[in-house]
Amino acid sequence: MKLQQVNFAIVASICAFILIGVVGIIAPAFHYLPAINAYTFSLTPWVTLFNTPEFVSSITLTLVSGLAATFISLMLAFAAVAAFHQSWILRFFQKSLAPILAVPHAAIAIGLLFLLSPSGWLIRLFTTFERPPNWITVQDPYTLSLILALVIKETPYLIFVILACLPQIKANESLNIGRSMGYHSAAIWQKILLPAIYPLIRLPIFIVLAFSLTVVDLALIIGPNTPSTFAVTVFRWFKDADLNERFVASSGAVFLMILVFLTFLLWECTYRLLSHFAKKFRTQGVRHPTLSKLYPWVGSLYFLLLFFVSLAGIILFIWSFAKRWRFPDIFPSRWSLANIERNGDLLLDLSGNTLFVAIVSTLLALAISIVVLEVKRINTLNTTFFDRLIYLPILLPQVGFLFGIQIFFIRIGFSGHLPAVITLHLFYVLPYVYLTLHGAYLAYNQNYFIQACALTQKPIRSFFQIKLAMLKAPIFSAFAIGFSVSIAQYLPTLVAGNGLISTLTTEAVTLASSGERKIVSLLALMQSIFPLIVFIFAIWLPKVWTPIRIHLKTRLSKPFPPTLSTKK
Amino acid sequence: MLILSDVTIKLAEKFLFQNFHASIDAGDVLCIMGPSGCGKSTLLDYLSGSLSPAFHASGELHLNNRELSRLPIEKRKVGILYQEALLFPHLTNLENLMFAIPDTIKGKRRQELALDKLAEFNLSDKAHSLPDLLSGGQKARIALLRTLLSEPEYLLLDEPFGKLDATLRESVRAFVLEQIQAAQLPTLLVTHDADDADAMGNKVIHLSI
Repeated sequence: MKLQQVNFAIVASICAFILIGVVGIIAPAFHYLPAINAYTFSLTPWVTLFNTPEFVSSITLTLVSGLAATFISLMLAFAAVAAFHQSWILRFFQKSLAPILAVPHAAIAIGLLFLLSPSGWLIRLFTTFERPPNWITVQDPYTLSLILALVIKETPYLIFVILACLPQIKANESLNIGRSMGYHSAAIWQKILLPAIYPLIRLPIFIVLAFSLTVVDLALIIGPNTPSTFAVTVFRWFKDADLNERFVASSGAVFLMILVFLTFLLWECTYRLLSHFAKKFRTQGVRHPTLSKLYPWVGSLYFLLLFFVSLAGIILFIWSFAKRWRFPDIFPSRWSLANIERNGDLLLDLSGNTLFVAIVSTLLALAISIVVLEVKRINTLNTTFFDRLIYLPILLPQVGFLFGIQIFFIRIGFSGHLPAVITLHLFYVLPYVYLTLHGAYLAYNQNYFIQACALTQKPIRSFFQIKLAMLKAPIFSAFAIGFSVSIAQYLPTLVAGNGLISTLTTEAVTLASSGERKIVSLLALMQSIFPLIVFIFAIWLPKVWTPIRIHLKTRLSKPFPPTLSTKK
Repeated sequence: MLILSDVTIKLAEKFLFQNFHASIDAGDVLCIMGPSGCGKSTLLDYLSGSLSPAFHASGELHLNNRELSRLPIEKRKVGILYQEALLFPHLTNLENLMFAIPDTIKGKRRQELALDKLAEFNLSDKAHSLPDLLSGGQKARIALLRTLLSEPEYLLLDEPFGKLDATLRESVRAFVLEQIQAAQLPTLLVTHDADDADAMGNKVIHLSI
């Protein structure tokens, strides 16, 4: 089979998959679900949806939390980059990005839950209460704790994408030119650089917005309950034992999709309106804007986020090894490994599933990405469609789309098996792996490969030994990102596994509100440790790969040491 | 007059310049030539006030008896032109020019001034278009106009003709020189092209590694 045909099969499979998911959710939204003998189209599910008591409040909570979290994350990210650009602080920020991006959002939410709750560590550390106060500090009705969790997770991602844009807009040179004209650097960021960056990061902003509006696991852990955000409400309808609830759930899921795209529209219109009014301000020549002093302060709030993440990590660690920890003690009175010993079998089982699914789905995603990129390199026109298509899995709300797929999986007898879980994970891992690998793969100097082929006359060997070997750093990075995305998946595992296959994430989210802090902490801790280890290896391995390979080769061929070792 | 006296720049233990002296009269162009890595751009960064903290620099830089070496870039009144025009891509050409005009000029006068400049150089029809639609020569002209509108007191040119083809290069070079002499700006040109140095430089300094 030729490379182009494989590429076509990949694109066709993704299209078919999306179509099945979307149709699988739109049909029941109009009362058509053959699985429960509903063959007549009607608008009843929509009427039921709009008459649901929590409909308006759920939508309000969703819009407030989604828009606020995206806006605050964006402002923080812009301020942090603008305030600390060209300083050691930004280099420190850059180093902090990988671990935060690697930690699954459910683990951060669980850490925050144990940190901010009335009996949490912050109250123990900074107050003198004898009993937990009667405060609502998490799962609050105003979604403040949910917004905080989303901001903690999304700000580093936005900083990461903004930093990636800076060379493209020649930020350093523009800053020099602006400053040579007497502008304060904050003014140049405001008037020149931020407006130039925005179009480049529009898509990542929409990804953050879509995630914030539709997230389920994070909202289940730390979001409001009565009412909950709309995605959680829809998720509960889908999970209802009464199959007739599927109709209203489906119409809710379709409504959520529409809501997400309307919010994109609202966001973009607001941006264009503000941009129009800001145009005049850009050319007035004011060198020192009044807000310029605010940048370092707002940017410094990122330290506060890092502080929360660090405390959340520490609290998970403490709870995992605590035997007795009464309120208001700051630390446990007794420590123990009993938690690990007691849950050893469960942890092994869950870790095995988690690692197997993550490794297989990421390796598959890597293979697919390499095929698609190789075709794109040969013929750019053929694959621009894939470049657009690949964003759909990230932008489509999981809660609707996945339940559409679930019907199909059940129908073909695929549901509840590991391959089904791997397939759905692959669907969500592939965009991240592809986008991470994209730039480096296409920038590769193909002449190396051509030279290798000319020397060996073995293209496959040259491809693996020369091209992929030279691209090992981006390949390892893409693997680490794909792996962490897979580890964090909650709904895809739940939907494809059909309750029969559990991972660290599904178990942690399910138990999060159970009050069993020790086991939940242990699960969240393990869920964070695996991606962190892979990230460390992804940074370290490419650097030492060649020296290790040469060393091993030298050891294995000791009787005839190669020139390299004798030179030493 | 721009005077560099006793300028020493070193990176770690390596001296790039040691006790370097030079002076440039108003309207004159001092040309610095040399191979890549000889420190041309470092000297330019020192003069503009954007030298990386990794370098250690000492010495004095005077412009008409004003000591500049300890001033940040925004207080030096320096104009810089790079190899690329670096026109801000999301602003129209007119807005690019208006951005540079000092804020002492207010209201409609800003736009009038920018339009006058464009008209003076037969670029009026480009006022409301985006820089991407300009030719290489037009971009270079507008970049220079923008720099001049910011009322600099000296000019630094970092291979500004490097990306232009031979014919265009000659005409843009003549245009830049004409403006430098009209505005009486002491100018330092960094280049590795001998033709640029011959055409523009009143004095030429060759650096080596």
